[in-house]
Amino acid sequence: MLSVEGLSVDIAGTSILRDITLDVNEGEIVCLVGRNGAGKTTLLRAIMGQLAARAGAVKWRGAALTGLPPHLVARRGIGFSPEESEVFASLSVAQNIAFGTWTRPAPAARAQARVAFAYEVFPKLTTYMARGGAELSGGERKMVSIARALALDPELLLLDEPFEGLSPAIIPTIAAGIASIRASGKAILMAESNVQHIPDYVSRICVIERGEIIFRGSLAEARADPLVRQVASGLA
Amino acid sequence: MKTTLAFLAVLAAFAAAPFALGPYYTTLIIPILAYAIALIGLNLLFGYGGLLSFGHAMFLAIGAYASAVMGAKLGVRSFEAQLIVAMLASGTVAGLIGLLCLRYTTIFFSMLTLAFGMIFHSFLFKFYDLTGGESGISVPRPSLFGASHAGLSKTAFLVGPFYWYALGLFAVMFLVMALVVASPFGLALKAARDNERKTAFLGVPVFWVRYVAFVLSGIYCAVGGAVLAVSIGAADPELSFWTQSGNMIFIIILGGLGQLFGPVVGAVSFTLLQDALMANTQYWRFALGAILALIIIFAPRGILGLITRALDWRRR
Repeated sequence: MLSVEGLSVDIAGTSILRDITLDVNEGEIVCLVGRNGAGKTTLLRAIMGQLAARAGAVKWRGAALTGLPPHLVARRGIGFSPEESEVFASLSVAQNIAFGTWTRPAPAARAQARVAFAYEVFPKLTTYMARGGAELSGGERKMVSIARALALDPELLLLDEPFEGLSPAIIPTIAAGIASIRASGKAILMAESNVQHIPDYVSRICVIERGEIIFRGSLAEARADPLVRQVASGLA
Repeated sequence: MKTTLAFLAVLAAFAAAPFALGPYYTTLIIPILAYAIALIGLNLLFGYGGLLSFGHAMFLAIGAYASAVMGAKLGVRSFEAQLIVAMLASGTVAGLIGLLCLRYTTIFFSMLTLAFGMIFHSFLFKFYDLTGGESGISVPRPSLFGASHAGLSKTAFLVGPFYWYALGLFAVMFLVMALVVASPFGLALKAARDNERKTAFLGVPVFWVRYVAFVLSGIYCAVGGAVLAVSIGAADPELSFWTQSGNMIFIIILGGLGQLFGPVVGAVSFTLLQDALMANTQYWRFALGAILALIIIFAPRGILGLITRALDWRRR
């Protein structure tokens, strides 16, 4: 469904991504692993249309996404929960989550089902739906950020470091949420810099180092690969 | 529910004013209503959208001149027709300028709106045949719903039929804005103010949301300007000068930025405060400046924020 073909991205004249090729198929969960500054976030932002490509293309179900602004990429069915998961401080939790039903509208029953599914993934959110976005903890903000992207009813969800900066107590809740999303059949492309956080159920792993993908394979293959082990030793 | 009750209380207070106050204070309330309408619009852009315009006095002037040119030069006395022309003219100008200004945010947006405001101010000075130059154009008494009210004196017309007309217009414009800010559009505007990038990631065309807010705010200012022109009896270039835009921003901050009732509280407080200060000291501008500084430092949510805080404290 998502194809990244030979994508190169420069930021302020510096080459950040070089000739990246990557596919995500229906229902897959692909984990992009690499240390900080390797290019994971840049790739996700380039897929979302926030960063322009110097070369290459991003395709969604065969149609080019390259050059589309972020809001149109989102409306095609790609949800994004960025690393800094600030929620909209002036909106309530419920308003934050309902956002996607306005921008990707659906019949009322379907829209309600989308919001209901977002709460089903993170049931804790139902207890503070009326709370303002500014009153949430880091873990709560992360849950709202993922739930908000889910309410768009994306076929593909991009998660940028979903466990980053969270207390160990909240990590199992987020991991369980991601497992529920995967079980619903949605594809996920997840960036992760901490190898300890990679879920066992990922379909494939791509290791990115200095803007290039240096390994593709299963989690087991990655663990056995000496080059990946060398890179992983530099990861948290 | 709280908003509805507050709105009804505000309406009741304005409705009681002509009976409780003399004609002088009633004529003072019409500019309050005019500014309240204009600032409800500017508050959408500045308070909810986070875009600080230093040029919105231009739209106030467009409304005033639309009323003046229609009434004095074209002989169209119907105030409804004048309002429609004011809204169309302002909406068109805002639509064109917005395409350029909204390519930027922060200070660049503010400076561009200031620049367009100054260009319009010069236009009003130089195109004498159309605008009357420095002295502007007198605004003849308009007809309201087809009634000319020719038998009434100027003051009787203003404190009578025109006051109720302006109050009705204010009520309608306020209710429309209440619906706008509570709609997904209004929430998207606030979200874009909080974080533009993340709003776009959720499928919101941020530029166009801001564009619509810009045009809507221009239309509101024009309606306010048309009401203001009738109440003061003239449209002159000073209405579009940048200090007027500064006053509009001052009033919103004084009342309570990004709050639905903020512009109304601000317009009432500013007009009464300015009137009282001007009557008592020649240093009234100094006093107004000091009050603005105090409000920003000690009550960033304006007078409305102080009132809300006091009510919360009493409840506890």
